[in-house]
This record gives sequence, structure tokens and C-alpha cells, in this order.
Amino acid sequence: MAAAPKSPATSSTALYKTALRKAKRKNEVEAEVNYLNITAMLDMMTIILVFLLKTMASSSASLPQSKDLTLPSSVLAAEPHQEGVAVVVTKSQILVGDDPNPVVVLPTRESLAQSGLDAKYKKAGINDLHIVPLANALLAVRETDKQIRLAKGQDPNSSEAIVIVDESTPYRLLMEVLFTLGQSSFGKYHLMVLQAKKT
Amino acid sequence: MAEAKLSAAQRSKIRRLSVPAEMSPEDEAGEINIVPFLDMIINILMFVLATVAVVFTSTIETSPPSSGGGKVRVERTTPSLNLTLVITNDGATFKASGGNISTGCDSVGAGMTFPSKGKDASGEPVLDADAITACARKLKDSSPDFKEETQIRITASNGISYRKVIECIDAVRKDKSGNDLFPDVLFGVPR
Repeated sequence: MAAAPKSPATSSTALYKTALRKAKRKNEVEAEVNYLNITAMLDMMTIILVFLLKTMASSSASLPQSKDLTLPSSVLAAEPHQEGVAVVVTKSQILVGDDPNPVVVLPTRESLAQSGLDAKYKKAGINDLHIVPLANALLAVRETDKQIRLAKGQDPNSSEAIVIVDESTPYRLLMEVLFTLGQSSFGKYHLMVLQAKKT
Repeated sequence: MAEAKLSAAQRSKIRRLSVPAEMSPEDEAGEINIVPFLDMIINILMFVLATVAVVFTSTIETSPPSSGGGKVRVERTTPSLNLTLVITNDGATFKASGGNISTGCDSVGAGMTFPSKGKDASGEPVLDADAITACARKLKDSSPDFKEETQIRITASNGISYRKVIECIDAVRKDKSGNDLFPDVLFGVPR
């Protein structure tokens, strides 16, 4: 059976569609990036910001330098030791670890320079070096540190302390704090100082 | 020609439809406008960098204080200096295994090795750090047996400040040429 001839309307539509496709192909432009893609830079900036904030929060640079706590300057240029339990001795109080509540509230410097802390804080009178509230606070911290050291594969029998002491602290109080640390199984201390050029 | 068979209306429609559609800037990017967010991040970054005071710290390594005998000292088979620096309100004194070092660091004898040069604003003794360094060097060089000795015991009166103790530790740590003197510090409890 012979095919029926196409009607003029069908033929015209087919021609129209073909011509439209050809024209679209002809006018088609390559997709070009004509804007700055800043997504990668934004990702980078956000990571840097988070990293910076995190580092500063955990580093020694976050030490609260104030009238109550001024570190002494030293010519020492070695990198500070970062691991250990922080024991902070300011002009007015003694703090242990991250606890913001003072372990001991200190009397005046004149009083401390005579014979250290009052007898009420000591185990065996005013001449004793063992500060009982400090030892109690260290006991709890030591248990946590012991577990951390075990998990890290370090010797759990002795902990390390980062001792941050105000520059005007009398030697007597410094010895009482170091002695109490020694009695609480802290065998190594890192005394924190500010790096300064020798004049 | 195919186009010759198309009507004028069809040709016009083809011209209109074949032109690529122009996109707005937002559509071109194909993403949300993050420029304000970026501005904010940069501002925070600048603010953080500008406000944080960079403080460089260091740590002095030591062990628990001891009184009297040198239990924590490194045991030595050769003769040792066993140097101790005692800081008081009147000045500082070196004590070695041979005895007290006399004034001027010349010999063993009585007297303060470094008498105080006066009092500073906080009422503490003013010490000659250079003289302490020179004397420590002299004592270390006094015998070849002392060359390897790096430990020193520091003891002070009750009222001496931590700052003064650190000053003395710095004075005996290295000599003027930067060579090590006594970098290992032990604290002693005054009796």
C-alpha cells in the first residue's frame, strides 16, 4: 500500500522544529564561569577561625594577666610544657585545674612572708609545709590525671604540674605549694614564666 | 531552502526562541549570596587577631623541694661542687662543698658573696646578676671535675619574692657567652 502524502501543515511544523533546533545550536554559548567562586576560600577562612579560637583558648596565651597574677620574666626561650595539672597562685588565692573556685584564699603578703599560710590550713601547725585544702583538691585531680596517663601509656605513679605563680609571691608560700604537690604524688613541676630579652 | 518554506511568523519565533536567555547575577552564581557572611567572618578574624595580646611563655623544669641533704641530686662518683645559692634580704651567697664563698667570690670564708646593693621599690635586695654569673663561671671552671655539673640548689628567705628567685635562676643558667652553667634548678627549704 502506498504511503499517503504528508499534508502541508505537518511538513511545515517539522521544518519549523528543525530550523529552531539548528538556530538554538548555532546561538548556543559555552557555559563560562564569569563570577568568582569564593566557597573554597570561605571554607578555609572558617576553618582558620575555628582553629585560631580553639588554639588560643587552650594555649598559655589565654593566661589571665591581671593585677592579681603577673608572671615573672625570664631569659629562658624554651617552648613551654603544655601537659600537666595547672596550679595557679595569684596574689589573693590558690586555684587548681579548671575549677574557678579558690582552694585557699590568701591573706596579705606581709603575713605570708613571715610564716606562710595560717595554721588552720596546715596539718601540723604553722611551721608545717603541707597545705591540707590544696592536698585535698590535688587528690581528686590526681585520680583523673592518673587515668589520663594510663590511657596515654605514661607512668601513672607520678603526675606533672604546671605551676603558675604571681611574681610577688613570697618564697615561703612557693615552697609550701611545691611541697604539697610533692606530697600529692606530683613528681615534676613546670614553673611558668614570661619570655623576655635580657637587658 | 527550508527557511524559505517557513512563514514570516515562524521565522520570527525561531529568532526569538534561539536567543540564549540572560540570567540575573544571582542565577549565574547558582548559590546563595554569602558575601555578607564572608564580611562578617573577616571582621571577626581581624577583631580576634587585633585584640589577643600574644604572650610568649616558657617553663622552668624542677622537682619537689628538699631540705638539708641532697637526696634528689644526681649521684656523682667524682668530686662535685654541690653549689647552693642562698638569697636573703642582705644579699646572696654561694655555698659549695668546700664551704661558704666569701665576698668578691675570691675564696672560701665568711661573709655574703654578693651583698645587696640596696633595696628596690618593693623593699627587696638589689643583686648584681652579672657578678653572680661571673662567680658561677669561676666556680665551675675551678676544677675539671665540675665541668659536667649542671645542678644548683636555690634557697631563699621566707619573704623573698618569686621574681627575685627567677632573676637568680637566670643569672646562674648561662654565662655571658651563652654557655650552660647550672640550668638544672632544685629548690631547698630554708631551715
